[in-house]
Amino acid sequence: MKLLDLLRMILDNLNRRKSRVALTAVGVVIGTASVVLLISFANGMQQNTANQIGNMGDLTTIFVYPGAPMEVGARSGGGGMGAPLEKPLNNEAIEQISTLPGVSQIIPRVDLMGGSMIKFGKLEAWASVVGLPIQDASVLGYTAKEGTTQLERGTAILGGWAVKNFYDPSMRPGQEPPPPPDLAGQQVRVVIFKYSEDGQEIRKTYSFRIVGVLAETQAEADSWLLVRMDDLIPMNEWATGQRANYKRNGYHQLIVKADGVDTVVELTKQITEMGYMAWTPQGIVQGMNSLFTIIQVIFGGIGAIALLVAAIGIANTMTMAILERTREIGLMKAIGASNRDVLSIFLGEAAGIGLVGGLGGVLFGWGGGKMLNLVLLQTLTTQAAENGGLPPTVVVYTPAWLPFFAVLFAAAIGLLSGLYPALRAATLEPVTALKYE
Amino acid sequence: METHGLILTKRLVKAFKMGQQKVLAVNGLEIQIQSNSFTAIMGPSGSGKSTLLYLLGGLDRPTSGSIIVGESILDHMDENELAAYRRQKVGFIFQSFNLVQSMTALENVEFPMWFSGVPPKYRRQRAGELLKRVGLEDRLLHRPAELSGGQQQRVAIARALVNDPALILADEPTGNLDTQSGQNIMQLLSELHRDGKTILVVSHDTRMLRYATDVIYILDGRAVSEMEYRSNSEPSMQ
Repeated sequence: MKLLDLLRMILDNLNRRKSRVALTAVGVVIGTASVVLLISFANGMQQNTANQIGNMGDLTTIFVYPGAPMEVGARSGGGGMGAPLEKPLNNEAIEQISTLPGVSQIIPRVDLMGGSMIKFGKLEAWASVVGLPIQDASVLGYTAKEGTTQLERGTAILGGWAVKNFYDPSMRPGQEPPPPPDLAGQQVRVVIFKYSEDGQEIRKTYSFRIVGVLAETQAEADSWLLVRMDDLIPMNEWATGQRANYKRNGYHQLIVKADGVDTVVELTKQITEMGYMAWTPQGIVQGMNSLFTIIQVIFGGIGAIALLVAAIGIANTMTMAILERTREIGLMKAIGASNRDVLSIFLGEAAGIGLVGGLGGVLFGWGGGKMLNLVLLQTLTTQAAENGGLPPTVVVYTPAWLPFFAVLFAAAIGLLSGLYPALRAATLEPVTALKYE
Repeated sequence: METHGLILTKRLVKAFKMGQQKVLAVNGLEIQIQSNSFTAIMGPSGSGKSTLLYLLGGLDRPTSGSIIVGESILDHMDENELAAYRRQKVGFIFQSFNLVQSMTALENVEFPMWFSGVPPKYRRQRAGELLKRVGLEDRLLHRPAELSGGQQQRVAIARALVNDPALILADEPTGNLDTQSGQNIMQLLSELHRDGKTILVVSHDTRMLRYATDVIYILDGRAVSEMEYRSNSEPSMQ
């Protein structure tokens, strides 16, 4: 039999039994639609998370904290009284880490050791004051929403949220809060305080010019007031009342830059093995990716169960069709159809039902996804605005390969479930089939 | 049209299992049929005559013995060769017509040409010609349910002719028809015989003998002489 004739005959046969084909295909439609929708949903979740993590800054960054306290017995040489119980991030540590392959830069970080407040006119705000020995915050992957990322002595850069924290302490309840001030280029005062031995609060004010406001990252930097480390060290000396030797006793944190996204996770592991606590957003990305792969498999599995039920439906319909058409099969053989012809016809019909159902399912699944996007995006955006997070960019995301895959998969399922009935049809004895009542 | 010489069976046996019992439907049958003959195979129910017809048509396989139709040795053929044999060499006519109920007369006649790879345009034309030949040119688009028994059998005959086979095998073609329709079918078969086809008809109907050039009598799966047939089966025949 010619391929074109075969296809035409399959179409004719399906056409002759429209209602039954449609009813059987409905099962496939439901199965395929749920596979498409659920996988798209999992994909949407992944995209959203990836988008939000992507804002956290450079994914080649590793944050290293001092190592966890070691057991005293493990320490070589008596540290004596007051010796730090944790592995410090001192110059020795920086040298050690810089020998690891894949490290491109190490930036030490010092935090302000005491209470602080930022004043601008009569407005006040809180921010965590962080000192880094850098000239440009863009080396950490940060971008400026306003002004610049260039940092000089006497200047400061404010995080994306910190700028929204300004409030008027003299404001009466019920009064409208002031809009976030436009700070770029403005002078602000940083007030730090400490307590004397008799419990008196002592304040000291420093002045900084704000040169830029960072774009939001959904991470720690959002609440920073970033200054040069040389500016911060005297502030700390005043706050603690003593000179600190960071090079020997350790910085508060090291920001390690890897030379590529691929090496970050391995590098983090190596630093951890050296006895420090290391953390990278890339680790979260990888963890998320494997989590979402699991979610996709589970969701796909749920859809696949629906498809399995549909497959049994096809097998059932085809088995019934072969019983009904036994005489027709006998006749086909009597007029010269080969076993292969009969097999191809019935396999084709089963695959056809799968294909029709698959097309319908993709249409419904894809359309349903679009609708969910419309409805849910609005609700979630409103919610995000209330709770102060980034709005989701997408809820249901259908990757381009999915519809094609789903249609082919449905057709393959049809073919597979038609295998047994079609084989039975093909191997029917013609004489028995012709006499079948 | 190919003349394919003789039809020949040698020690032909076809056994069936009926529950525990083995039944020999055809039991050492030996016949010879000339090409271009109109042969009637007469025999009572259960004599094995229909089984013989299906064996000759390649629809069934013998338990032992051999069947030669022209150059084809049927018992040596595999499934595909038998399908090709049925497609090219024989046309079947059944007692119950075996038309596909959901197809029109035209589509039913076209049906075998799907499997022999005839192009669609030619299929329709050929089916129309054959239906005209059997006198159904005004019934082309009717479905079997809208046709009388005689008309249905004529559609089936047109279908049997469609691949231009040399051998026509008819299993009780008049069995489901009234006297007049049966008569018309016999005349049609006779015309086909005059056109050069070899016709082999299994029948109860003694009127068939008027059209037949040869008669084979079968009793209990064996070919017998006319005399033996009459002395053994007369009381049981109508």
